[in-house]
Amino acid sequence: MRRIGVLAAMGLLVGLLVWAGVYNLRQRRAAMQQAQVVLVKDGTNPPAASGSGSTDASVFGGESLKGKVAPGFTLVDLSGKKVSLADFKGHPVVINFWATYCGPCRLEMPWFQEFSGKYQPQGLIVLGVDQDEDMPRDQVAAGAKKTGVTYPILMPDKGIAKSYALGDYLPQTFYVDKNGTVVEESVGTPSKDEVEANIRKAVGV
Amino acid sequence: MPVIAWAQGISLGDASVVKKGHVVFLSEESVVEAGKPEVIELQFRVDEGFHINSHTPPDALLIATSFKVDPGDGVKVLGEEYPKGAAFKLGQGADAELLDVYQGVFRVRLRVVAAKGAQTLAGTLRYQACDNAACFPPRSLPVQVAITGK
Repeated sequence: MRRIGVLAAMGLLVGLLVWAGVYNLRQRRAAMQQAQVVLVKDGTNPPAASGSGSTDASVFGGESLKGKVAPGFTLVDLSGKKVSLADFKGHPVVINFWATYCGPCRLEMPWFQEFSGKYQPQGLIVLGVDQDEDMPRDQVAAGAKKTGVTYPILMPDKGIAKSYALGDYLPQTFYVDKNGTVVEESVGTPSKDEVEANIRKAVGV
Repeated sequence: MPVIAWAQGISLGDASVVKKGHVVFLSEESVVEAGKPEVIELQFRVDEGFHINSHTPPDALLIATSFKVDPGDGVKVLGEEYPKGAAFKLGQGADAELLDVYQGVFRVRLRVVAAKGAQTLAGTLRYQACDNAACFPPRSLPVQVAITGK
């Protein structure tokens, strides 16, 4: 009788362990799926037109700058000329962080080019800030040329990724209104419509 | 109950949400005939929902997946062979870009000659991962392969 009791207790314990392990696995898988859903809302290919970018940088570990004054910077462009955010005081500015290896970045950059023309009457300025690590300027220029953009491409320094609290993800884009406030931000490539909606917020139309 | 807390910590597979590399090394020990050229497979897995460029991406600006062998004794690498990538369409319509990628499990084959006994081949997989909407910086995954020459 006692042996049966011990066996039953052992069986119960084994059952409990198996249940706990399976429960744990399910919970982790669910959490992992949720984490991926945040990054890729529909998780299907192709995604870009379905609005896969998040509008909240804090989701990705970075601190959200929405509602805050855009951090100032002075960087050099592809010709070596210094460019400061302060140079565009009074203008709505799009600050797009990208890299030459980043396919989604290359997808959206022509959209920024198109919208920089469309909203030029409203004074829109688009700045592309490269995030390739230690890449020579001519290679960055080659990458930018491939996307067809003609707006200023700026070389990174050590400080800008920190001041904009960039996470590990590219592209990241900050939409700054004419008062210098970040009115929208996105991580990943949103749909073209979302990009335009964000620009319209910055431009104030 | 402590036992349940312990049990809930048991990993029954690929479960870590905090995993940020997006590629893991899966291979276990290889046993080969000592002193003769043999092929071993290094098996990797790209996290679900992500892709990395193949060894031959269609654009020089994209970062190719490659395996670099560290210098060492006991195992000589004669050559390496990468799998073909799969077509991956990024974007839609006229904006779309066709990539050549690895997704899920992929294998790099190495032709090696191992000395007799237990050997370790060290190397690094360099790759760059993206999902449909965002990319991560290039990464290096250090790998140690246990090879027994018999």
